[in-house]
Amino acid sequence: MKLSLKIVLFSIALLLAAGSAVAQDSGTVLTGADLTRVVPTSFYFQGLSAPTQMRHAAAARFGKDRYVISGLVDTSGYSADVRAKYVGFLITDSAITLNGESLQPGAYGFGFGTEGKLTVMDLAGKDLLSVSITNDKDLKRPRPLMMTADGAGVRLYNGKNYVVIAAQ
Amino acid sequence: MVPFALLAQTPPQKPDSQQPMGGASTGAPTTYTSRRTVGITDPTAPVIFEDVTDKTPLTNFRHRSGEAAKDYIFETPSGGVAIFDYDNDGRPDIYLVNGSTIGAMRGKEKAPRAALYHNLGNWKFEDVTDKAGVANERWGMGVAVGDYNNDGRPDLFVSNFGVSRLYRNNGDGTFTDVADKLGVARKGWSTGASFGDYDGDGRLDLFVPGYVQIDLNNLPPSPSDVNKAGGAGCQFRGAPVMCGPRGLTGEGDTLYHQKADGTFEDVSVKAGVNDPDKYYGFSSAFVHVNDDKLLDLIVVNDSTPKQLYINKGNGTFEEIGYPSGIALNENGREQAGMGLAVGDYDNDGRVDFHITNFSDDSNVLYHNDGDDNFTDVTFQAGLGEVSIPFLGWATSFIDYDNDGWLDLFVVNGHVYPAADTHQWGTSYAQQALLFHNLKGKFERVGAPPGNALANAWPGRGLAVGDLDGDGRLDLVINNLDAKPVVLRNVAASPGHWVGLRLIGDVTKKSPRDAIGATAYVTTGSVRQRQDVVSGAVFCSQNDMTLHFGLGAATKIDKLEIRWPDGSVESFDVPAVDKVITITQGKGK
Repeated sequence: MKLSLKIVLFSIALLLAAGSAVAQDSGTVLTGADLTRVVPTSFYFQGLSAPTQMRHAAAARFGKDRYVISGLVDTSGYSADVRAKYVGFLITDSAITLNGESLQPGAYGFGFGTEGKLTVMDLAGKDLLSVSITNDKDLKRPRPLMMTADGAGVRLYNGKNYVVIAAQ
Repeated sequence: MVPFALLAQTPPQKPDSQQPMGGASTGAPTTYTSRRTVGITDPTAPVIFEDVTDKTPLTNFRHRSGEAAKDYIFETPSGGVAIFDYDNDGRPDIYLVNGSTIGAMRGKEKAPRAALYHNLGNWKFEDVTDKAGVANERWGMGVAVGDYNNDGRPDLFVSNFGVSRLYRNNGDGTFTDVADKLGVARKGWSTGASFGDYDGDGRLDLFVPGYVQIDLNNLPPSPSDVNKAGGAGCQFRGAPVMCGPRGLTGEGDTLYHQKADGTFEDVSVKAGVNDPDKYYGFSSAFVHVNDDKLLDLIVVNDSTPKQLYINKGNGTFEEIGYPSGIALNENGREQAGMGLAVGDYDNDGRVDFHITNFSDDSNVLYHNDGDDNFTDVTFQAGLGEVSIPFLGWATSFIDYDNDGWLDLFVVNGHVYPAADTHQWGTSYAQQALLFHNLKGKFERVGAPPGNALANAWPGRGLAVGDLDGDGRLDLVINNLDAKPVVLRNVAASPGHWVGLRLIGDVTKKSPRDAIGATAYVTTGSVRQRQDVVSGAVFCSQNDMTLHFGLGAATKIDKLEIRWPDGSVESFDVPAVDKVITITQGKGK
């Protein structure tokens, strides 16, 4: 009994420590083979699997082995309605925040609205989360999608606009 | 893609790009109550160009590229044109590329014919196509000029959707297709090619972009497939349209190196310019980007990043599209690149690039900052907002008023016939755009009512040259499924000028036609630069005679030529307002 309690308490302590470690990790942006190893070549969303635009994919590692992966997809096979709201995917294997808003582990679609929001959707296209984005007017050489290190996590950029992804 | 946000964007910032609808557009769709690409006139505008087409036999030429409905992407971009002096009589001639039809490709009907017009002077031309043997009769896309065999006679590379041709100029008014014999009979969908001696051996090499892989026996969905079961087909703003290029497999690019025996070998992979990502290539040019004596290479791609290849001098190139700033626009967006203008618009001694794009997106002007860095200065230069409703094709710098500053002429026309039946703010046939260069800033030159520039055309190719030898640069536009347009420059009170025909010394390993040479002309405090370039524009070829406007200057203070082999010479120019021939080795 006492041994079991110790094990449980030890496990909780370990999880808390691990969680704390993840939370304190601001994230490492992956490049080269580390990046291509984790990015899926296609992504399912709302009835279709569309190829990833590999040149517009990015990923970050939090802690030892927690990943957040994002990429734009070729949406030419979708209807105009879907294309109007969906541009790429966001995959996370741990709980994260987007500009402070919680997002549970999972695979999601996302898009951007003209009102200055990034919207995360489930795989059926249902809106789950919408966060404001920030314009980095001084950014040189912006890209359609990229990640850069940020003190609080990583910035997920679309052009000069970004949201901050942080481990939870 | 859909805008990440329009926040923090203040007018006149362009809207961020958007994922294509139907495959090509990269802009943000907007509904308009009027078309902004036709019928825009200005009664106070000066008359710059006069349409003289009907006074020439070119009025009988009819371009044809598939059917009017444009069900397939390969029916939409054809139409290059070249101005070049094939018989060295001092008067530039005209070659018009023609398209084809699916029926002709399948041998079921006669193929449309390209045409060569011999310039007889005084705006008289003679159709010499049959004698010359350059009718092509394949699905022509573009034409690039280069004297590949250094015999002093310009040859033609005709890029086709199908097998391309290399027409060797025999010097007797005839040409012979030697593409197969010499190893450049490229298959697939070849577009805007460019000759250039990238390895400094004195022999021209050839770069050919590839666009999209198409199997005529397994065509992509057509607009009529949209409403069929299964939802095949593509849409643009909800309207059924042809598919592509997005969603279709792209084609790699090809670099042919000319060997000592005059044959060519495919060195694309070895040189690092094979385009493994298979971007949708449309235009290219060998040009000195960093002025290090080695010819660099720019490739304009549709709906994918542009590529800038820096010549490393060892037979290979380094692609620096992203770090140089050329790959994307200032907002980090891929654009649907079409045509390419090469020139030093701000007279700072470095070549800059103007690139045309799809409608709902602006064309883009890249300023060369030096050190392999470019800045998108489109909106600062006044070329942004005005170009958004237009779907641009050919673009060329042209000092139409000889004031010593390169102006800009852009040919436009949509790919979707449905543009005329929807409130997209654009149209199928579109007016061309002429911009006056006010020392680095551009201002649209209006179209007087009834003038040529007030007309709308389904434009594609464009070539610039002084067809009548009056010192004012004229234009020829090749229009899709229509007759071409010949525009005579009638600008009042233009400045002085000089034309330079450069002849390289083959024994010094400069190609004879001097492709890759750079001329610097100094008058007072202004130092202009022009380069001998093969290709660019859009699948077209400007006359390689370098034309410098001199403004009020009646003498040239300094003329320097940097030859393709890297040597530099100075020449005295005894008189202006004429074309002079400059031969390598005859200067100081």
